[in-house]
Amino acid sequence: MDALPRRLLIANRGEIAVRIARTAREMGIEPVGVFESSDAGGFHVGHMARSIDLGPGGPAETYLSIPKLLKAAESSEATAIHPGYGFLSENAEFARAVAGAGLLWIGPPADAIQKMGDKLQARRRMREAGVPVVPGSDAAAAAIDPSDEELLRRGAEIGFPLLVKASGGGGGKGMARVDRAEDLPAALEETHRVGLSAFADGRVYLEKFFESPRHVEFQVFGDRYGSVVHLFERECSVQRRHQKVLEETPSVALDPRLRESMGRAAIEAARAVGYVGAGTVEFLLDERKNFYFLEMNTRLQVEHPITEETLGLDLVRAQIEIALGAPLPPPWRGGKLLPQGHSIELRLYAEDPEDFLPRSGRILLWEEPAGPGVRVDAGAGAGTTVGVDYDPLLAKLVVSAPDRRSAIERARRALSEWIVLGVETNAPLLAAVLASPEFRSGRYSTDLIGRLPSRARPQPPDAAWIAAALAAGDGGSPAAPAVSAPARSRDPWDERSGWRLGA
Amino acid sequence: MKLSEGESSIDVVLEDGVASLGGRAVPFSTRRSGAAIVAIEAGGESFGVRAVREGNRVFVWCAERTFEFRMDPPAGAKRTRVRPSAADSGGLLSPMPGRIRRVLAAVGDAVTRGQVLMVLEAMKMEHSIRSPRDGRLVRLACAEGDLVEAGVALAEIE
Repeated sequence: MDALPRRLLIANRGEIAVRIARTAREMGIEPVGVFESSDAGGFHVGHMARSIDLGPGGPAETYLSIPKLLKAAESSEATAIHPGYGFLSENAEFARAVAGAGLLWIGPPADAIQKMGDKLQARRRMREAGVPVVPGSDAAAAAIDPSDEELLRRGAEIGFPLLVKASGGGGGKGMARVDRAEDLPAALEETHRVGLSAFADGRVYLEKFFESPRHVEFQVFGDRYGSVVHLFERECSVQRRHQKVLEETPSVALDPRLRESMGRAAIEAARAVGYVGAGTVEFLLDERKNFYFLEMNTRLQVEHPITEETLGLDLVRAQIEIALGAPLPPPWRGGKLLPQGHSIELRLYAEDPEDFLPRSGRILLWEEPAGPGVRVDAGAGAGTTVGVDYDPLLAKLVVSAPDRRSAIERARRALSEWIVLGVETNAPLLAAVLASPEFRSGRYSTDLIGRLPSRARPQPPDAAWIAAALAAGDGGSPAAPAVSAPARSRDPWDERSGWRLGA
Repeated sequence: MKLSEGESSIDVVLEDGVASLGGRAVPFSTRRSGAAIVAIEAGGESFGVRAVREGNRVFVWCAERTFEFRMDPPAGAKRTRVRPSAADSGGLLSPMPGRIRRVLAAVGDAVTRGQVLMVLEAMKMEHSIRSPRDGRLVRLACAEGDLVEAGVALAEIE
């Protein structure tokens, strides 16, 4: 293994930048952060000892700018770059540019990123490698004609409903559900347009639509010497708007035989593109327990901590070591690694818990859960401003317990301790998922959230009205003398003030 | 003082350890940690509480729930921000905070009900802003690239 880099540039923000910095420091590597000028007060900037200002211009000009990131590495004398997830993490050009600049890229080879990033090409490769793919079309035309006879005919063969997907899409973007044949041309046109504008790739393809599938993914790892292993599964079926909200491992949907065959398929998928480093192979699992390759994420996943918790590993450390040329650790290859207990991740988003629309504002008070079996990977805290330019993920709560039932109870307990004031969060939705009989039984699929009973708005108890009145600063009560109140204008409507009670 | 939460709006008066909640008297006392109040005892029970005010909004955590109260301005106070009501004009309001990605119509254009007038991007999603009716676009209050708050007027249709 090559010598450790002295400094590591983390080309990301939020919780994942903080997460990566923690491992770097444990390894004796100095982490260096980056930020967009208007994000200078970002949580990750406050966490790092050193960060580089990438200038103004929003994410496109900063976190997504290859030249600026390379320059930041140069000026900070960092010799390695970790991309995190999102932003440029699955950009083959960035991977090449990093290596081209003589820096260490903490990620898979550019070639593997490219092969998996092209969803159409990936489908074809997977089929060739013997990995089952979702039935669909493989039209690989560079430009799409919405009246394309072949696609329309193929649509009729697959049957409705079906999905139209952009070849460059992912994460719920660039796909449309089509229920009737006559709606297909319009959906082709729309997805083609979204693909062009969002991913600069207008190619589209069709996929069979499953009503109540489960999403189960496998963590894989490969080294430079051709070894590839899987580190078991993560169940990711609790979703809203095609984005994950809660993940758990192990999945109740898998028995040992299914786990083995899916794990083998995941390894084959990674092998087929010469994979090195950490990756995730996503599968769709239907009611009859048939599984199909969906896509491979060529980076660290948001939900990687549940794998870390059940296996007692640090996946970021493994990424760095493998990038430096270390072989996979012998116990990983010998099949000696066995998950212990059960782990659940809850994603706390700044969003309306009912309609899932993002919320912005400033976090005025933040108290995290703690106690046995609780880990919080936060990207926000008191004082953090939540804007509209970035992902609304505030933090991840990861709980671990000896079995699923106690992990669910632990998750409910920890969630009830979490106090966030100032920005609305999806905590009530997370609590409703944990309380739902369907989730607790383990027999759930991606439509779980849509099927939750509607939640009554809780009425504030008397004490809440009293607390509100105290904080509102109504004078005249001897029980409520001013509590460290900053100078306040006479008229509370004149300005924002940070008057707080119980801080 | 008048406080509102959700659909409820009541007069709250605190005096000598008794709260008057919409005329109902509730004796209470507070528990402190240093200067900060961390619990309120009311009706024989003690509730852990946190409360923070920002502007005319008060955020409260109580009984493991969060609530957002609004302080209603006393009569005669002027509001600094008046939200246009969707019903009172042909105004088109932003449904959420976000960035205007595309504007697909121009002032003077005849528009039809359901026509996409602009695309708003919030976080990772794009949302089509559609015309609520047939008419003519008489005013555009935003341009591509603008950041908009929730509830602000984006355009007007006559």
